[in-house]
Amino acid sequence: MTRLLFPLWQPDERAYRAICAYLGITPRSSLYDRLAEYLANAPFRFTRPYGFSLFLARRRLTRFRIARLDIVTKLFLPDHPVRHVLNGVIALHECDGEGFREMAASPVGWRALVSMLGWALRFGLSVAVTIPWLACQFLLYVAGIPFRSKARVAGMRVLVTGVNRGLGLDLMLHCLEQGAEVIGTVRNRQSLEALEARLPVEAPAKLLITDLSQPGAFVHALREAKIQPESLAMSILSASVKHGGESEVSLNRLRDTFQVNCFAAAEFAAWLYAPGSAFIEGRSSEVSGALDLNPSPVTSGKRENRKAPMARALVLISSMGRWHGMPFACGYNASKAALSIWGESLDMELRQSQSQRFTVTIVEPGMFESGMTQQTPMTRYLFASRREVARRILAGALAGRRVIRPPFWFALLTWGVCLAGRDIRFRLFARTNPRRNQ
Amino acid sequence: MKVVIVGGGVSGSHTALTLLERGIEVELWDVGRAETAFPEPGVTFHNLKTRVADPVAYLLGADLRGLVPPAAPELLRYPPSRHFLASSDDPLDSFESDRFFPYASFAKGGLANGWGANALAYDQDDMSEWPVSFSDMEAAYRTVYNRIPVAGPVDDDLVPHLQGVYPSQSPVRLSAADQGLWQTYHRKRRALDGSGVKLGLARLAVITDPARKDACDYCDRCLWGCPRDSIYNPSVSTLKQCDASSAFRYVGGRMVLSLLTVENRIVGIRYLDTKSQELREESCDVVFLAAGALQTGGIFLRTLKSARADIAAETDGLMDTATVKIPFIALRRIGQPSDPRSFQFNRLIVGMVGHSPPWPRYLHGELLHLTGLLYHPLIERMPFDSRLSRRLFFALKSALGVVTFFFPDCITSGNRQVLLDQGGRWSKIGLRYEEPADKENYIRHSVSRMKSVLWRLGCVPKGIVRSPSGAGIHYAGTVPMGQGPKRCDATGRSNLFSNLYIADGAAFPSLPSKSITMSLAAHATRVARRADL
Repeated sequence: MTRLLFPLWQPDERAYRAICAYLGITPRSSLYDRLAEYLANAPFRFTRPYGFSLFLARRRLTRFRIARLDIVTKLFLPDHPVRHVLNGVIALHECDGEGFREMAASPVGWRALVSMLGWALRFGLSVAVTIPWLACQFLLYVAGIPFRSKARVAGMRVLVTGVNRGLGLDLMLHCLEQGAEVIGTVRNRQSLEALEARLPVEAPAKLLITDLSQPGAFVHALREAKIQPESLAMSILSASVKHGGESEVSLNRLRDTFQVNCFAAAEFAAWLYAPGSAFIEGRSSEVSGALDLNPSPVTSGKRENRKAPMARALVLISSMGRWHGMPFACGYNASKAALSIWGESLDMELRQSQSQRFTVTIVEPGMFESGMTQQTPMTRYLFASRREVARRILAGALAGRRVIRPPFWFALLTWGVCLAGRDIRFRLFARTNPRRNQ
Repeated sequence: MKVVIVGGGVSGSHTALTLLERGIEVELWDVGRAETAFPEPGVTFHNLKTRVADPVAYLLGADLRGLVPPAAPELLRYPPSRHFLASSDDPLDSFESDRFFPYASFAKGGLANGWGANALAYDQDDMSEWPVSFSDMEAAYRTVYNRIPVAGPVDDDLVPHLQGVYPSQSPVRLSAADQGLWQTYHRKRRALDGSGVKLGLARLAVITDPARKDACDYCDRCLWGCPRDSIYNPSVSTLKQCDASSAFRYVGGRMVLSLLTVENRIVGIRYLDTKSQELREESCDVVFLAAGALQTGGIFLRTLKSARADIAAETDGLMDTATVKIPFIALRRIGQPSDPRSFQFNRLIVGMVGHSPPWPRYLHGELLHLTGLLYHPLIERMPFDSRLSRRLFFALKSALGVVTFFFPDCITSGNRQVLLDQGGRWSKIGLRYEEPADKENYIRHSVSRMKSVLWRLGCVPKGIVRSPSGAGIHYAGTVPMGQGPKRCDATGRSNLFSNLYIADGAAFPSLPSKSITMSLAAHATRVARRADL
């Protein structure tokens, strides 16, 4: 297994080695692969953590934390992910000949009694360390409550575009991990088959093939799959294309970029906000369709929909690049600028109509690990992880935030560069190597 | 005359063998799935982990379904490498329930492929609510004990309470832990007299005679499938005896759904051909239902619905033994090494004798010291962190044991099978079951008595583990003996259909605590002997 799907449940190899060291057994890579495979199904088989349990599950597993969590979860949280991890490690190692011999080695006679006394003392010490640690963790959790959204994505149906890789994939996995049902789109059958092979069979994900570069294809695919707009609680449009290295006068590439990154969103919004399944007939007129901002009879006037604004949330994944030009990649930046401005305008229209059924969230991520950025030795330190960006996007959208810019320090840096003048920007961006990426 | 027996488990095979002995030609219809061969005969359970190519897949299943998650109610799962049990997503599964979790088997030999081998008989007190007395059943029990070799003692404290048990071989070897407990019991026997709890050597349908090539070699793999066929299994024993007769025809690949009737007589059988997946019908003259109480009840209900729409399509009863486990630590065994080879199932049994109306006087328990099992559910259940639990478990392993009690059941209004009309190719069967309230007191009282005895035997009991309803696998009472159209008479003949015989546990009007298998075989034998053919 090259990459973990659900980090809340699946420990990485480093954490697995820490668990083995804690349990006093030798790690085995073949057993680790089995463990990761088993725990990939965990979000769909076992109770999902929430509240303080979720807070404890999110932290990285070190040997110290494992020891603390082991005691806490055994006593108070029997269905916590770490219990499944520890139980899985013990189960797999006891099935392995060498692993079992190692685990079953035990003192006999009077040595057994002496050893038990030692273990009891060690356990007492461990409990003594765990109690203040738990108190600290609880205080940290309580202190963070005002900053955390109480809304949950569990049980919702979420649409995510471009789920075959990059941020789209992480958004889909994060939604699945949090208990949502996901409708994901990919560009072609090859991507679909590769993704299906990776996803656990029990994952509630429905994958559609659609080429967003074809006008109207996105909405056509949704209608073919008999997906109703009102069934989508949240729609995250993360698919985008970047033709790096192309001249800005390459019009075909420019049109293609705008179609995928901006016009597909407008087509989708027209379908999403139209009453019922009504959609403008004919592909050529789809983009020009006016939005219906009147609440549909299905949900109008219902108090629960006012309380749950996420019922029709549209999340547009733009870019910090939308704030400035860039040589040989302006198509991408310009289309993202158009998407941000269009999204903001749409949000204003929706707010003017006083419709509380819809929200538009614009996401402008900065530096994070994506297929569109170069990997350098500094990447690890400067870039945010895709999963962390996905988590922040989902949490922000659930909280009804209208703009999300993770990581925020990069937004400040970008704005600083923008204020510094075009010459400075030229010198800065001239040093970047144009490269092809899609 | 075409006589069809439905089901190839203990009841079906003994019905067939008895009818063959009467000179009657029989057909035995069965789904008849085959189990794969058990690997590495002679190798012990733990050594198997270094011998099979992929021990994780063998022990936990390729999809690791055998891994018991934390907080799960069970202490063990049936080995995923064995295919005699049907899962709930099996296309042939016909049951629906949210409170009763039944085991079903479509394998040749049925649920006996995985039974615990305890071979006891119901006595007069156990059958006090039956229209059949022990003396009526005794001849059948003797026949069955002649057919099935049983290892057990000729004399111990339980002999007076275990009427109708006829061991023909020496008992299975006790482990060192069993011997310690056995000696302590004998030292304190007088003091324990007042408790009503008695220990005995297990009566087991296992071949122990070392002169036989199929004798038990104590490889600790009973649950994983006996590679030497030492434990009785109808598919390798009784059905093979039937096969030797030219009057016997085994018809596999058929799942019987219902019976065709004309004026209260069975004239044919409607079945699913499991190979072609087609629904078919075939005529017959006499039918013996021996598909197991749950399947038999289902077939009876589907037949009832088409034959007598005026009668509600639900059974009069549904029973199973509630199982309660009491784990304990034998203090003197702490720090002692485990036996390298042993018999995996219980070598000792417990009888709790006393008057507790309306339940039978004898409550059966099985006393087991841990040998070859997957230990992770037990480690996870210990009240310490995983590191200490793992170390402590293996230091205490040879001292750990469990007493499992099987609590009797009776026909209670509300506990029944119901025909569900939800479309599909055949109607599914709903299982409605709740433990009778008065049984809870009985369970509590019995557990408390046993715990007190364990303390006196130098063992520390630790909590109890209740299995969910349906986990007892002693299903009975879906077409019970008694008055009424949905019941059968004392000979197993249906009160409604004159040429239909209920030859399995569906006919039992109450369910004693003792293990059911020998009584299933005896009932089938008696029904087949008395059938009016």
